[in-house]
Amino acid sequence: MRVAVRTWLSAVLMMGALAACATPPDPADPEAVADYKAANDPLEPTNRVIYEVNDGLDAVILKPLALAYRNIVPAPAQTGVRNVLDNLASPVVLANDMMQGKPKRAGDTFMRMIVNTTLGIGGLLDPATGMGWPKHDSDFGMTLAVWGAGEGPYLFLPVFGPSGPRDAVGRGADMALDPFAWIGQGRTVNALGYGRTGANAVDTRSRFIDDLDKMRAQALDPYATLRSLYRQNRQSTIDEVIADDRGTAKAGRRPAPTR
Amino acid sequence: MSMTTRRLFLAAPALLGLAALAPPARAADPESAAAFVDTMLRELLTIANGSGTLEAKRAALAKVVDARVNVEAVARFCLGRFWRTASAPQQAEYTQLFRRWLIRSVTEKVGEYQGVTYTMGKAARREADVAVSTIVNRPGNAPNKVDWVVDAEGPPMVIDVIAEGTSLRLTQRSDYAAFMSRNGNNVQALIDALKQQASAG
Repeated sequence: MRVAVRTWLSAVLMMGALAACATPPDPADPEAVADYKAANDPLEPTNRVIYEVNDGLDAVILKPLALAYRNIVPAPAQTGVRNVLDNLASPVVLANDMMQGKPKRAGDTFMRMIVNTTLGIGGLLDPATGMGWPKHDSDFGMTLAVWGAGEGPYLFLPVFGPSGPRDAVGRGADMALDPFAWIGQGRTVNALGYGRTGANAVDTRSRFIDDLDKMRAQALDPYATLRSLYRQNRQSTIDEVIADDRGTAKAGRRPAPTR
Repeated sequence: MSMTTRRLFLAAPALLGLAALAPPARAADPESAAAFVDTMLRELLTIANGSGTLEAKRAALAKVVDARVNVEAVARFCLGRFWRTASAPQQAEYTQLFRRWLIRSVTEKVGEYQGVTYTMGKAARREADVAVSTIVNRPGNAPNKVDWVVDAEGPPMVIDVIAEGTSLRLTQRSDYAAFMSRNGNNVQALIDALKQQASAG
């Protein structure tokens, strides 16, 4: 995993070297300028190239693996794999919940970690959700957003896909925050680390097979549609975190919602 | 206490009472918008889960879309600034193609509605519309948060669907805008592409 962090950094640096810029529209056309700014994708030509490369890799490697996984592995086993991966990710989620200043969300994650690791047999099962500690996502990109960082221009990263400066930095920070990245050494530990990364990729991809196929079939410009979907989805997740006042000083000050 | 303050003091409860009695200013207040969405979803699911041939179901679903969704307003929004540069016949043809696309994406996978249930959530007034939250449960899938946006100033019809934070019309608009910017901002190119898409399958 230490290798992974280093690879990550060099990938981000490479992006800068590859950058080609989009042609800005005629400044005399204010609506065209507004559209250009809304897209906020100054590196679009480079991003599109990386998108095509990723798409090609996806078609020959990740999607077939994900399809095989979805169709061959029994559903309960898939749920178990997902649960284990979620449980392994919980220390990073917890750290981010805390950095976001969200005590109830941090509490949920902490209880999930304890309950699912013990009662849930090392994370295979997820009894915590039924006990009132449901799962939520949290990462350092979100933490930076809560701290006030904007998303910045769109970046399509090799392998990882849709991102931006804030979320790309967040991804690197999450890798560094992960205790499993620093515990132990040697071949077995490395193999386990790669196994986990691979399982995460296949599992995540397997859950988006239908949605992505549908999007590709319907969109006139799948690259732009994915850009829009990624940004909207990200923003709504962040809005949800910011609005979650449970257990914070803000919740006490705010009058009860009228609607 | 001076005379004026006292009079104000006395008048205040009366004014407040009047304000409370005043009828809602708009046609679609949150309650009626929620009822509207509830009815629409019940209609859709009754048709999809009912008996009848696939074709009959599709036709019935298309009718619900026409009755409950302001297709023209959504189409117009999705074309953005290019609506004005389009000629009247182009606007008409585009709207027609957009309607076909929308109906097709609603009716294409009727089977996916099998066993679907939903629960109504909060309805909240936003600027010119009301967002009605629902949780949609599809068997074997995680529950989805879906917000239905109902026009509160024009005719009370659905003008957007926001699934897990992603708005249908915003996504569609950015798709069209990107296509246009790569095709010389030519509305006819978009119409041709939509036509091709409609005849493709």
